[in-house]
Amino acid sequence: MNRQIRTIADLDRVIHEPGRLMIVALLFAADRADFLYLQHETAMNKGTLSSHLSRLEEAGYVAVTKTYRGKVPQTLLCLTGAGRKAFEQYRRNLKEAL
Amino acid sequence: MDQVGKLLARPRLYYNIDGLGELGGSVLCLGYALLLWLRMHSPADSVWQRISSFSFLALLLLIPYGIKAVKTRITYPRTGFVEYRKPFHTQAIAGALGALTAVGVAIGFRRHWDISALVSLAGLAFAASCGYHFARAVRWKWVIAGAMAVATFVIAFLPTNVLGALGNDSPVAHPDRAKLDGTVLLSLMVYGAMLLISGGISLGIYLRQTQAPAQEGQ
Repeated sequence: MNRQIRTIADLDRVIHEPGRLMIVALLFAADRADFLYLQHETAMNKGTLSSHLSRLEEAGYVAVTKTYRGKVPQTLLCLTGAGRKAFEQYRRNLKEAL
Repeated sequence: MDQVGKLLARPRLYYNIDGLGELGGSVLCLGYALLLWLRMHSPADSVWQRISSFSFLALLLLIPYGIKAVKTRITYPRTGFVEYRKPFHTQAIAGALGALTAVGVAIGFRRHWDISALVSLAGLAFAASCGYHFARAVRWKWVIAGAMAVATFVIAFLPTNVLGALGNDSPVAHPDRAKLDGTVLLSLMVYGAMLLISGGISLGIYLRQTQAPAQEGQ
């Protein structure tokens, strides 16, 4: 395999999925965001978004904090250090591959 | 990759989704115009002569908290909450300090330059900044940024006696100072009014297009 093809094979599959790529890119540009914001920006339904977030949390890329805004439950999300590094590496690999 | 770049810009553009960024800017412009007018039209020993600078700084510091309070009640329950890596009020304070430094430098060199021309240049920079921050997300706001730039030119070419009349009652009798005060006052009023209209329209559209969710868990 030549180097460029190997770079494509090295792309992080957790981030490469379009739904998760949207989530990670949005969280990368912010410090923290809540579930409602991600739902609004990605136009995903609650189930799909939760499922993607669980996958990212399992990979250690996203940290989830459950809190309250007044009396309303709020789910705050942020990228972990590993998540930031993984996204930066993913962008580098993708740029190289393209 | 371009799509990823656009996604990375989304959280920044989200700040003004409700027009509150522009409304904050309009409060700043109109508030400063009011303070300037009070200072120009009050006696030399008036309290306004002493506290106007502090009032402007207080206004500058209070606006981000006011915006946050309104967002907490309106925006976050409707379309979600975002915390930015570099808070906007830090940028706003840095920008204002930069502007004050520029004004200080300009005053230092006023013997060599027509200081009203510098106000016009600052106005053009402000129009460009508004275009960059607000019009990237909503295209019709380029009209507002363009109108601000046109207004800057119109104000710059107004006759000296018209501009001077706005600062006519100033305790400082020098005509150049009166022209400068008039230029700044008129510019602030025009920019403030434009931002108020633009932000008000955005807020109206936002409130119509979004709905506060029912009190349920996420």
